[in-house]
Amino acid sequence: MKYILMMNTMRAGHGVPRWPQKDLQAHIAFMMNLNQGLRESGELVSAEGLSFPEQAKLVRAGKDGVPITDGVFPESKEFLAGFWIIDVDSPERAYAIAAKASAAPGPGGAPLNMPIEVRPVMNAPPPEML
Amino acid sequence: MKYILLMSGTKTGVDTYHSWSQKDIDTHMAVLTSVAKELTESGEFVATQGLSEPAEAKVVRGEKNGMPVTDGIFPESKEFLLGYWIVDVATPERAYAVAAKISAAPGPGGVPTNMAIEVRRFAAHGQSKSE
Repeated sequence: MKYILMMNTMRAGHGVPRWPQKDLQAHIAFMMNLNQGLRESGELVSAEGLSFPEQAKLVRAGKDGVPITDGVFPESKEFLAGFWIIDVDSPERAYAIAAKASAAPGPGGAPLNMPIEVRPVMNAPPPEML
Repeated sequence: MKYILLMSGTKTGVDTYHSWSQKDIDTHMAVLTSVAKELTESGEFVATQGLSEPAEAKVVRGEKNGMPVTDGIFPESKEFLLGYWIVDVATPERAYAVAAKISAAPGPGGVPTNMAIEVRRFAAHGQSKSE
C-alpha cells in the first residue's frame, strides 16, 4: 500500500526558520537518517523538499488557455514543505513512520512533534476511465 | 528545474465531483491523460499521482514516547491535496503553461474548471540557487 506523508508546516510570509546552525544540522541529519532507514527497508518510494512559499505561484487557465499567475497568499495559508511517498504493509506502519518524522528535532534538539498528514495514494485510473 | 503542480480542493469540492455525469468525468480524465502523454513525449514528465479522498486522511503527531497519535477529523473548509504532477522543465514559464493546461481540464458540460494549481519548485539540495 502506498501512502504519502505530507509536512504542511510552512506559513506564507515566513522565510527560512532562524534556528542556530547546530540545530538545523541536527534536524537535517535526522531526516537523512530517517530516509536511509526507509531506503534500507525497501519502503521509500520518494522524498522531496519544496522551495519556500515566496516562490510559489497559483496558476489558472485564462479564457484562451493562457496561464494567469498569482503569487500573493494569505499569511495563514498552510504550505507543503515536503513529502515522502512510502510503500508499506499496513496503515499502522505508515502512521509509525509519520510519527518518526513528526518527532524530528527542532531548536535545542526538542522534538517538533509537527503534524504529518497521511493519505493513501490511489492507483492509476481504471482503464475504462481512459 | 523540477516543479510540482499541486491540485487542491475542499471536501465540498470533492463531494460535488461525485455528482458529475460519467461522460463529464471521462472527458475530464481524457484531458489529464493527454497532458501526461504530451509531457512524456517532450521528456518533461517525472511523476503524477492522485490521492485518496479526505475521508481516508489522518494527521499524525509523535507523542512524548514517539508513539503515533492519529487524528482524522478535519474542518469542511480545509483544502486537501487531490493530486500532483512533477515536471522537469527548462523555465518557470513552461511550468505555468503546463499548470494552465491542467487548470483548463473540462468540468460538467465540458466547461473548463479553471481550478487553481499551485506551482512549487523543488528545493535545491547542494545546488546553486541559480540552477
